[in-house]
Amino acid sequence: MTLLELEHVDVFYRDLQATFDVSLTVDEGETVAIIGANGAGKSTLLRAMIGLTQCRNGRIRLAGEDVTRLRCDLLARRGVALVPEGRRLFSSLTVEENLLLAMARARKGPWTLQRVYDLFPAMKEFRSHRASDLSGGQQQMVAISRALLTNPRVLLCDELSLGLAPKVISEIYACFDGIRKEGVSIVLVEQDTVRARSASDRLYCLLKGKVRLAAKSSTVTPEAIREAYFGETRT
Amino acid sequence: MSFLPTILNGLMVGGLYGLFGLGLAFAFGIMRIVNIAHGEFIVLGAYIGASLLSVTHLPLPAVIVLVAVITFALGWALQTVMLNRMIGPNPVPAMVATMGLSIIIRNALVEYYGADIRAIDIGPLQDQGVSIFGTSIGVLPIIIFLIAVLLFVLMHILLTRTTLGRAFRAAADDFEILETLGFNRKRVYAIAMGLAVTLSAIAGLLLAIRSSYSPYSGVERLLISFEVVIIGGIGSLRGSFLAGLFLGVVQLIGLRINPNSGPLFGHLAFFLILLAKQANLPALFIRRRA
Ligand SMILES: Nc1ncnc2c1ncn2[C@@H]1O[C@H](COP(=O)(O)OP(=O)(O)OP(=O)(O)O)[C@@H](O)[C@H]1O
Ligand SMILES: [Mg+2]
Repeated sequence: MTLLELEHVDVFYRDLQATFDVSLTVDEGETVAIIGANGAGKSTLLRAMIGLTQCRNGRIRLAGEDVTRLRCDLLARRGVALVPEGRRLFSSLTVEENLLLAMARARKGPWTLQRVYDLFPAMKEFRSHRASDLSGGQQQMVAISRALLTNPRVLLCDELSLGLAPKVISEIYACFDGIRKEGVSIVLVEQDTVRARSASDRLYCLLKGKVRLAAKSSTVTPEAIREAYFGETRT
Repeated sequence: MSFLPTILNGLMVGGLYGLFGLGLAFAFGIMRIVNIAHGEFIVLGAYIGASLLSVTHLPLPAVIVLVAVITFALGWALQTVMLNRMIGPNPVPAMVATMGLSIIIRNALVEYYGADIRAIDIGPLQDQGVSIFGTSIGVLPIIIFLIAVLLFVLMHILLTRTTLGRAFRAAADDFEILETLGFNRKRVYAIAMGLAVTLSAIAGLLLAIRSSYSPYSGVERLLISFEVVIIGGIGSLRGSFLAGLFLGVVQLIGLRINPNSGPLFGHLAFFLILLAKQANLPALFIRRRA
């Protein structure tokens, strides 16, 4: 069943149009990757999905309900959660305070403090540290946990691998199997096409704000991705 | 001639100055709003309290609670009706709006209460004293100081132990992410402004018991609030408290040395600290994130 649906979405920053006529769907329990180069409009699309930026034209539906004009906090309470680009932890709060804040307005669901500590056992050791004192990988664990604790139906992840060492990226991605087991849908924004493809069921490739390719991750060819990603046919 | 009573009185006044600063810093830290009407709300607290005392004859603690409730509602309304429409990267519209509001409140006070200087009389407690270290200290200043300390402690507990307090701190860090966790930004802001105004208005009421006030006192109170914030820093309860105590003690010692000096010595001390810190004033008003 379709959980999240975008129809012909145009998002503007003042006069600058960032996405053009974007349509995409995310099914219940599905992992969808959105790939594209710098400035392709990936983060913009996630912002529109959680209501941080209103789209000028088009519709957004969550579980069949029209949520196009819904405020961000209301969308969040209906089950959309964001792991933002660059982590954006509350830097003056401790790790645990970051997590407690996420629980305060959470929906009912499987995720509890205990469960996220089980997911990332290392997090227990720095739970009382200030968020600003953490390494990038540690911050990413907290950012994912914070989003999970709202018990979302769809988890939006923006460039989890940004600025992290390959080994740390693999550890972060390894936890996704555990997250998927709870039936949550995942939207994965990445610049790293290889990782995005292997971690997803389907993928969309954006080029300058337009969907250039929509395909099943298991069958799409690297050539097709490359062409859509760079917008040119290799000769 | 002992300076001990002067210093103790300075601490009492200073605790209230600390609350003035805390209220201003709270609104600025969380919402990036420089509330120019802050001083007028402080004075308003005194007028509302004085009216309640004379009309209802309720005991002082009850009046303090009533003033807290009323001024919280005022702060809430200020944010909801006016300031929430002006939030954005540019702090100037809210500054101009609150400046206009300060003029309105000041003139309304003149219109309604008259321009004369007054003080609140709360009867026998005013003159009671106890003997400490061989000098007589008023009971009232001690009670007022303890109320100020209590309010700081309550604020500390609120900010560190409750969801609302954590939401305040988080809103100062990154309000967008707070929204993605299901918090209504405008509601959080309205409560924060309500609290900021309440703290300052209660302090204004308590100060009016010890010193005089008029509709024009707001400017002076605002200036002191700024000084407390700049000396004590924005995100620090302890900083506000200590800065307030410092200014209060310096001012009263100055008054003792030269009874005509008014708040001059406090301002001088502030100026010296500014020089010492080489404070980068414009940096205070630049938004960290749009
Ligand atoms: N706050 C903003 N104001 C104005 N323009 C913006 C803003 N944020 C993004 N843009 C513009 O919108 C376009 C899409 O940006 P977006 O951040 O969505 O791209 P992205 O695919 O996430 O890129 P990256 O891989 O660098 O994160 C870019 O041209 C960018 O310059
Ligand atoms: Mg991006």
